[in-house]
Amino acid sequence: MSTALRNLSRHPLRSGLALLGIAVTAALLLDMVMLSGGIERSFERMLLGRGFQIRLAPRGTLPFDTEATIPGMSALAARLRQEPGVEVVAPILGASLHARRGDSLVTLFGYGVDPRAQAMYQLQRGRDLERDDSAGVLLSGAAARVIGAAIGDTVTVVGQLDPQLAAARMERRLVVRGEVRWFYDYQGQASIGTLLPVMQDLARQRTTDRVSAVAIRIREGMSVPAVARRMRAEYPSLEVNSVEDLVAQFRQRLVYFRQLSYILGTISLAVTVLLIGTLLTITVNERLGEIATLRAIGVQRSRVVALMVAEGAVLTLIGTVLGIGLGLVTARYLDRILTSFPGLPAAISFFVPESSSLATAAVVLLASGLLAGTYPAWLAARTPIAETLRSEAT
Amino acid sequence: MRVLVARDLRKDYPLYGETVHALRGVSLTVEPGEYLAIVGPSGCGKSTLLQLIGGIDTPSSGTVELMGTRLDGLSDRQLTWLRLTRIGFVFQRFHLLPVLTALENVELPMAEAGVGKAGRKARARELLEYVGLGARVRHRATQLSGGEMQRVAIARALANRPALLLADEPTGELDAATGAEILALFRRLNADGVTLVVVTHDERLAAEARRVVPMLDGRVV
Repeated sequence: MSTALRNLSRHPLRSGLALLGIAVTAALLLDMVMLSGGIERSFERMLLGRGFQIRLAPRGTLPFDTEATIPGMSALAARLRQEPGVEVVAPILGASLHARRGDSLVTLFGYGVDPRAQAMYQLQRGRDLERDDSAGVLLSGAAARVIGAAIGDTVTVVGQLDPQLAAARMERRLVVRGEVRWFYDYQGQASIGTLLPVMQDLARQRTTDRVSAVAIRIREGMSVPAVARRMRAEYPSLEVNSVEDLVAQFRQRLVYFRQLSYILGTISLAVTVLLIGTLLTITVNERLGEIATLRAIGVQRSRVVALMVAEGAVLTLIGTVLGIGLGLVTARYLDRILTSFPGLPAAISFFVPESSSLATAAVVLLASGLLAGTYPAWLAARTPIAETLRSEAT
Repeated sequence: MRVLVARDLRKDYPLYGETVHALRGVSLTVEPGEYLAIVGPSGCGKSTLLQLIGGIDTPSSGTVELMGTRLDGLSDRQLTWLRLTRIGFVFQRFHLLPVLTALENVELPMAEAGVGKAGRKARARELLEYVGLGARVRHRATQLSGGEMQRVAIARALANRPALLLADEPTGELDAATGAEILALFRRLNADGVTLVVVTHDERLAAEARRVVPMLDGRVV
């Protein structure tokens, strides 16, 4: 290895440029490996953020995909809690709302939740809602900014607006209890949360006791697919999806991401192989005299092959280490661009750095480096000793 | 036992559609402790003869026996091992590995032969002292003069205590004064029992040899 390093240092500029090339392709490969599975893993983590493994939505829809709702939630919740294996039932209502800021109205998204069983947020500052706190409201950072409210302030939340009179049909004054991060909000989304009945009032869904979706946590040790299967049979008017099902559907929708990452990853591997192969082939051709001398003084063919393969491996190893650093930096930058797409939950990451991604990229690259070294090594091994020494002497 | 017995060696190779007869039936024996110079004009086949007796090329016909072992029956691995352990090569252009130090260049054949690190370091130092480069062990090949490089190459050739030292125009790249130092070194080597076969144009080097084999047009004359 040390001889390989020294040989590469003979032409520092050439080796440096080759290393840079390998680092760039390694970075691209790593990013593609992270992209191919990252968004899926990140989606799964988001859904399982608070340990709820099943989602119920109106038949034929996905949670929050449409404005369709499920009626009779209280009775449904009571029934669901009786199901074997069900530990927690968390109903959620989503609705479009407004809040007063001076003389104007700002548009918000509202969540109606049960704070004792919620799958939607994480408290950042202040305190959570109490079970009977019908005067309290939780804000996202963005909602606090657009309304201009802080913890302890009172805000006026407006439900449905009459389109003809432009007047509010429902209005509530609520006190800001805390600031939360809503798991499914896109970047900069202004969202608020109240108790479910308050939100049902504001959205005029109280009389029929409607919700948008229900999250269910299954008891430890119970089979999630089995419970989901049973619920599907039991509640035919509902769409029952386990997180696994949702991830599978998500995967189907984003199949082009995976294909794109495979194609770009393969191209980057091919470029790596060509880069290393070309550099080593040039090196072998320059050092034919040296190789013939080594063979003449008794160095075995296998040793010459090992020397060339080692040079390829050293190049790849250093290039991979540089490439991993570069790949992580570019992934972070690309992730910022992609996650700023409108309508995409901010919690979703396209590039998820995991040790398995790093290991996969590193192993594939090293294998490619070794592969790339085989042709030059074969060239070196079959160098005709006498003929080469003769031509070197003239 | 004779160090080398070459019988009726012929070497033909194609060149631009024609067959070149580089050697036309050369026989040669070398006794232990001999100092033999092969001389002749360029293209007479002397370097080809050296390559055949050194086992780095194969004859079109004829046989080579080194210390009783016929080279034509050996596999590439066996032949390589024989070159490593029985033959020392010195080339006109030295052919040291430029990234290695003088010491590492001399150690190389011993490392290949499986000599332990301490043993080969000690032997390499001893050999570099012998050729007068005790103070240059840590210098890389590129930091040495032509004469110094050739002396390192000679030390490398002696590393595994070969039965036969083959030198192809060892003074060809050196000025007269440096060439004279190499002549003196060869004289000392032979006096210390090393069997030497030297291919040369250099009349002074040929004059040092105990036996001169003149060649012309692929034959010993």
